[in-house]
Amino acid sequence: MVRPAWPLLLALLAAPCTAQSSPGIEALMVAGRLVEAEQLARAGGDSTAVLLGDILVQQGKLDEARVTYDRIHRARGPGWRSAMAGLAELAHRRGDRDEAVLLAGALGGEWQVDRVVWSASDHVAAGRALLLLADGNPGAVRDALAAFDAATAADPDAVDGALRAAALFLDRYNAPDARAGYRAVLQRRPNDPRALVGLARAAAFDRQGDPLDLVRQALAVNPRSVPALLLAARLHLEAEQYDSSRVAADAALAADSSDAEAWAAVGALAWLRGDTTAWRGAERAVARLNPRPASFYAAVAEAAARHRRYAEAGELAGIAVGHDSGSVAALGALGNNLLRVGAIDEGRRHLERAFAIDPFHLWHKNTLDLLDELATFRTVARGRFEIVAPAGHAEFLADLLVPLLEEAYDSLAVRYDHRPPTPIRVALYDRHADFSVRTIGLTGLGALGVAFGTVLVLDAPQARPGEFNLGSTAWHELAHTFTLGVSDHRVPRWFSEGLSVLEERRARAGWGAHASVGFVQALAAGDLLPIARLNDGFVRPDRPERIGLSYYQSSLVVEFLEREFGMAAIRAMLRGYADGADTEAVVRRATRTSIDSLQRGFDRWIGQRFATAVEAIRQGDAAVFATPLGEARQALAVGDTAPAVRMLRAARDRFPEYGGADGPRLPLAEVLWRQGERAAAIEEIAIVTRADETAGMANFIEATWRLEQGDSAAALAALDRATWIAPNQGDLWRELATLAAEMNRHREAIRARRAVVALRPSDPVAARTDLAEALLRGGEPTAARRELLTVLEQAPAYERAQGLLLEARRSGGGTPR
Amino acid sequence: MGLAMASPLAAQDGRLHVLVVTGLSGEPSFAASFATAGGALVEAARGPWGVADADVTWLAEDASRDAGRITGRATGAAIDSALSRLAARSQPGDVVAVILIGHGSGSGVESKLSLPGPDPTAADYGRWLDRLAGRTVVAVIAASGSGDFLPVLSRPGRVVITATRSSSERNESLFGSRFAHGLASLDADADKDGRVSVLEAFQYARREVESAYQADNRLVTEHAQLDDNGDGRGSDTPGIEASGDGALSRRVTFGSAPAVSDPRVKALLAERRQLESQVEALRRRKDAMPERTYLAELEELLVEIAERTRAIRAIGEGSR
Repeated sequence: MVRPAWPLLLALLAAPCTAQSSPGIEALMVAGRLVEAEQLARAGGDSTAVLLGDILVQQGKLDEARVTYDRIHRARGPGWRSAMAGLAELAHRRGDRDEAVLLAGALGGEWQVDRVVWSASDHVAAGRALLLLADGNPGAVRDALAAFDAATAADPDAVDGALRAAALFLDRYNAPDARAGYRAVLQRRPNDPRALVGLARAAAFDRQGDPLDLVRQALAVNPRSVPALLLAARLHLEAEQYDSSRVAADAALAADSSDAEAWAAVGALAWLRGDTTAWRGAERAVARLNPRPASFYAAVAEAAARHRRYAEAGELAGIAVGHDSGSVAALGALGNNLLRVGAIDEGRRHLERAFAIDPFHLWHKNTLDLLDELATFRTVARGRFEIVAPAGHAEFLADLLVPLLEEAYDSLAVRYDHRPPTPIRVALYDRHADFSVRTIGLTGLGALGVAFGTVLVLDAPQARPGEFNLGSTAWHELAHTFTLGVSDHRVPRWFSEGLSVLEERRARAGWGAHASVGFVQALAAGDLLPIARLNDGFVRPDRPERIGLSYYQSSLVVEFLEREFGMAAIRAMLRGYADGADTEAVVRRATRTSIDSLQRGFDRWIGQRFATAVEAIRQGDAAVFATPLGEARQALAVGDTAPAVRMLRAARDRFPEYGGADGPRLPLAEVLWRQGERAAAIEEIAIVTRADETAGMANFIEATWRLEQGDSAAALAALDRATWIAPNQGDLWRELATLAAEMNRHREAIRARRAVVALRPSDPVAARTDLAEALLRGGEPTAARRELLTVLEQAPAYERAQGLLLEARRSGGGTPR
Repeated sequence: MGLAMASPLAAQDGRLHVLVVTGLSGEPSFAASFATAGGALVEAARGPWGVADADVTWLAEDASRDAGRITGRATGAAIDSALSRLAARSQPGDVVAVILIGHGSGSGVESKLSLPGPDPTAADYGRWLDRLAGRTVVAVIAASGSGDFLPVLSRPGRVVITATRSSSERNESLFGSRFAHGLASLDADADKDGRVSVLEAFQYARREVESAYQADNRLVTEHAQLDDNGDGRGSDTPGIEASGDGALSRRVTFGSAPAVSDPRVKALLAERRQLESQVEALRRRKDAMPERTYLAELEELLVEIAERTRAIRAIGEGSR
């Protein structure tokens, strides 16, 4: 039940005014008490006629509102400019662009010429009109903002100008200024629902705060607030909570059945759920309101894209553009979704058109800037993949990634009984900001990779050197291609992410997310999300750490599913999603158990799996092993090795599964090594390198120790793991090449030497000669000769290369070409 | 013993003279870095480059830091005097390398290298270097904000290198240390002929600087330039035909070639040089030939060269 915020209402109604006065009526409007407001406005005569028009609009009585505004406008009665703005907006809503532009142009033009004695509401009216002129007219946006600011200056007690200015900022992706504007309104009018909804939109935009909580606060004041209800519908839809979304969208329609956005919410829900009847109904309803409902289809396209159905989003956006070829939203949705499915040139064309109309659109500008840079990228086509990367290292990245991706494709094709269409395009960006723009149009995305079906976008190693594992990231994203494909892009985020992380762990020891202290703390505190709400952890995290927890938790859920019900059940679930079923239904269908039963089984399983670590927390060490680890460090600092080892072992035993480089195993391994306990040291460090996919230094240490112990194969494996963490480190590849050559593992040596050459070493001639030697030793004399000709063409006096050339000739092979 | 040290320069005639100046450091890390670079250059000059001690001068911020190698304090007057001395000792046809390492300031003709005492301007250096007419001058200003030195010092027959593109690139410069290392070691010897040309050292240093910035994930804030055609315009990619620069700096090399006394080796070396010339000629025709034919002819020539080298080795007198 929603409880009205009486203090605000009382405060507003206590303002000095008569019953029919504007402030009293506005207070009722803000509270959503539109019937009472309408009665008072009608009783107020001409002085409240504009408010009556506004109330009628909010109730969806558009024809009557139009008559009311028209009467005021013609009579030049009180508030006639507001009435004129209202008429222009109504014309815009019903798709009558000519009349909208005519009215708005007249009002905006008047404001530009002479506005000295205008009232605050007149300035707001001008701003509203100017916004209707914004398409293709960037100056109009600036003027609209100036008009809203002028309204606030003319009457600091009125908040309409400030609210509209803040909304304008948010529409232009400027959340900080928008937030500041809404907060300023709330200082003057605590609990103003319009400002609360604005803050909620800002929170949903940049994920700072809980938007649903703000929406609830707004609805507590005005339960009929259409913007609040629509935002709630959208947030629930993104969280794939379809029933909640439907309740909110229906409530918005009940409040105003003429609201095209409300119909878009209903339409998006129907489209995503495959409810053809409801979808057709929404289409017909919105067509009655506006025969050119571009914004309706653009909004549904955006919802489709948010649910990863990019190709269909492009088709919906195409319908939108067909209705209005000048709609920036439609052109943008079409352009972006074409880019997502790899139709770069076509996507660019539509984005350029959108940008020509609205050059203030940050997303479109960023994306076009990036496409300019993308034009300098190189595409390397190999096998089933196309690697797109900055020209200088596209070849290197192709050498590195394609063999892994081919292996991943074959493995995943068997597991998912699905073969996605090829080629699969993999774009890698040197700058994380570019990757982020490519993905969400803005900088600031935290992820390392994104899959748009058969188009994958990743950070290149240079974007975050040494901070992530390129191999596991690529494998993870390719797994999405399969799960999206099997589910016809209907798999919920949690399930797709969980499977991708699980596939990482299956691909190589150490890859993928592993149990963290934070995870065990959440488990012990009962703070893990239930499976039914796991999607919230991705689309509506209550705190930043929730996302990481949810990745791991989801991977455990799917691991549990596979363990209990087999891979066939996972595939059945994906197919169930493809049929439009929700998680509860697919679980029941695929496992013949309820989601509650699944939850109980999962809880038991992880409870047992992490029992030791949870028990440590319950015994008083909030960070599982922090106490003995701290004591060990103190002991080590004073050279007290024996107690340090005891404490480190105690810390390790509290959370045996934990191998993070910040845990007890790495220092324990180092102490043991120094004490000469070689085998025990290696055992400890091996757990670190198999539990932390970014433990570059630990892998290097392991390689060194293994070599000292004469275990070249294990040393080589450790170096190979490190290359996925620091693929740009030429020295690492050199070490690997040397060791591989010593072991006669020529394929690995050649691969490593190729990497050194591709990394543009300071001595390319020597690097190529090394590669030639590796090729020669690996039984590829023709390729070796080809390399040596390249070397000696530049450096004919290079004696080492000369010797290898003679040797290669003796070894035979065909003529290099 | 058939081999003996011959003239220090193989790719140009005349003797080599070296003046190294390491300026004010400001803090110990820079002092160490400048000293390492300066010391490496002086060592290389006296060692592998075969320059007589009297023809090597190192002026430094603190002359007592390395009294065995540092000749004096790096003041403007000392540089002026050293260049006068070089003008007197050198002959037309000689190569004079003037390498300034430190922090830069100012702009245009007022560009400076920070030194103990008054700092001479780029215009002053220009006047002093003009005393060396007829010599091949290699002027390297390896300092932050040094870009404006280039147009001031540029002359036909002179190689001018600056660590930055303009005076506004004022962040700490890595170029000097990399250039000094490249020149003093064989790490920059891209064509593996046992000598390092000024062009090779420049290209090596640029690559190393880029790698260092890339490794730190920083934007490159210094862009070294080279001018050797006297047009006053630096190139950041000399050696590529379109740049117009690179021809002279490719010919000026640092490193000595062993002299040969055995007539069989002399003959083999002559044959090898002839074959190398044929490779060069073939390379010039590359674009006009089918690739397969080009590679086949190239391989035959290279095998011939390799066999000469092996024969020289077999005689036991080394390869050059």
